[in-house]
Amino acid sequence: MLDLIIKAVAYSSCIGIGAAAITLIYNTTRTFNFAHASMVSWGMYMVFTCTYLLSLTPYHSLPLAALFGSLLGLAIYITVNRRLLKVKAREITLMMSTLGADLVLYGFLNVFSDYLLKVYRLPAKYFVLETYDVFIRFGDTAIRLIGLVTPTLLALIVVLLHMFLTRTKLGIAMRASIENPELAELSGINIEMTYILAWLIGGALAGLSGGLLSLVITGYTAVGMTIVVSFFAGSIVGGLYSLYGSMFGGFLVGLSEYLGVALLSSIVGGWIYAYKPAIPLAIMAATLLIKPEGLAALLRGGRS
Amino acid sequence: MELPPIALQIILNFSIGLIVTISLNLEVGFLGIPQFGRLLAVIAGAIVAAAVPGRILAAFMGLPWGAEYAYHLYNFGIVAKINEVLASSPALSIGIFFLTLILAAAIGGVIGYLCAYPALRLREAYLGITLLAFGDLLMNIAWNYDPLVGGTTGVWVIDPFRFVGTGGTRFTFSALLILTIAIAVFLHAELLARSPYGRTLKAIRDAEIAASVYGKDIVKMRAHTLIIGGAIAALAGALWALFTGSMKANTYTRLTWTFWPWAFMMLGGTGNNLGVLLGVLLYTVARTVIILYKGALTAIIPIEPEWLEYIMIGLVIIIIALFRPQGIIPEKPVLTLPKSKIKTIAESLKEYQ
Repeated sequence: MLDLIIKAVAYSSCIGIGAAAITLIYNTTRTFNFAHASMVSWGMYMVFTCTYLLSLTPYHSLPLAALFGSLLGLAIYITVNRRLLKVKAREITLMMSTLGADLVLYGFLNVFSDYLLKVYRLPAKYFVLETYDVFIRFGDTAIRLIGLVTPTLLALIVVLLHMFLTRTKLGIAMRASIENPELAELSGINIEMTYILAWLIGGALAGLSGGLLSLVITGYTAVGMTIVVSFFAGSIVGGLYSLYGSMFGGFLVGLSEYLGVALLSSIVGGWIYAYKPAIPLAIMAATLLIKPEGLAALLRGGRS
Repeated sequence: MELPPIALQIILNFSIGLIVTISLNLEVGFLGIPQFGRLLAVIAGAIVAAAVPGRILAAFMGLPWGAEYAYHLYNFGIVAKINEVLASSPALSIGIFFLTLILAAAIGGVIGYLCAYPALRLREAYLGITLLAFGDLLMNIAWNYDPLVGGTTGVWVIDPFRFVGTGGTRFTFSALLILTIAIAVFLHAELLARSPYGRTLKAIRDAEIAASVYGKDIVKMRAHTLIIGGAIAALAGALWALFTGSMKANTYTRLTWTFWPWAFMMLGGTGNNLGVLLGVLLYTVARTVIILYKGALTAIIPIEPEWLEYIMIGLVIIIIALFRPQGIIPEKPVLTLPKSKIKTIAESLKEYQ
């Protein structure tokens, strides 16, 4: 049971971190980022590569994963997003363009994993890094480090983002340009800077959450495409307009996937386990249909 | 007559791609709905084809048709027996073929109607993601709920084309039949676009308030279009399941049945049926060429052709979105009457001047 809870907490925190990335990019650039899927996968593969080739521990490879994620974000912004934002493209076009970026990233990720497999003979098609994890002893019980690191990181990111958005000039400028881009630009805020910043931070969060996930679930090239729905669900349950809401929403979605299923199975029987991937989808569809404003609206006492 | 496998593949991919993309274009290009859940209706059609006609025939033949029909130990035997009967009876085969298509289209229509509810409440990104979630949800249920279509083991699908022969003859016949249906769907969509109905859709897309001021019932038009789109997409799913002769839920992914049709549509020209046809054709040919020259290609670029395909489609989407959002053939105002007729009308008007 403890194992399950730790895994659930670790997984949920990862989803929370990733969901914040989607929300941040959507709010600043109106772009619902489909490329998130492959950015997460790339984060996972970065940790995998560093662990195997540079013999770093997965934890030491995390900054590299985050850095790589932010580079991917920057690349997408410069090559695709920037031009489309300039011509004020529709939301659908923005979405589709990130889907194109996602497919390209996915293709290259597969090429990369083929390369690792052929040249370095690494098990790059399916890998489990859980064995690289460290156990921490509290008296009689041993807890996997990931169960402590991920929630701490999630909390840290909440605090850091909050500090950044409320205490620094750049953060305040960013919030201003989210609220009202035209007005922000008129008062001298370099709006392009905030776009770049959003993609950098969003990419870093996506890469980081992928890197952390490599210690929780099995890695394969399409892993991002499989679990991206959970990130979407987290972001949408959070309301798509609130960073904290999306982190909380992501955490809830992740928990319901692991603990919710475990709870349900004790009531209705073990067959429910097969439907685990359906849970984030169902939560997302229900939120969108019943309360599209999401959790954030509830937290603010109903006003949206 | 037998066609070579490569020609069959082109014909089949083109036809199925055309049907799905036409249905997508109807909703995205004409109605302006971000339909990221095309998979939903397609897989519903495939489920109907895999689960319903076989069960009906099994029930008539006194074979098990309940949950055990989809059970992998019985399913192959049951379907083999049904296929024997179908092979000897062309009339029954044709009847069951059209029954399957009608049922699939009906279910697809119902799904389209149900999608109208979120489509009225939500906008843009929200709507797109909701529809995407619905599609994945149905796939997940079909993948896990064994009594429906066999879950993870999949089921065999009855073969209504068996009566013309086996092997190449069967595949040639069915591929040509599907091509005929695809062309019919294309013509139907084209007629729809040229009708007052199509013009109303475009009016709603371009200026919703203006259209409603002129007395157009927007809610009803949306629901209608979603019903037609869903029915056509379900048709594609059913045809695909019938042609391949088996149905396994996880082969129906949002990538192949939602995102690729989006890419074809954007490539050819959103809101333009002829453009869609061109987009699908270009892509199908490009893909076949890649597969044909696989060896030569990997010698030049050391990339597996499979991944090259992803990169290629991704780049096509990006390049189209960036540099030619209107597609290869941009949308044009459709001429509802033949040119000669318009000329005579114009000339007859001159007399009054």
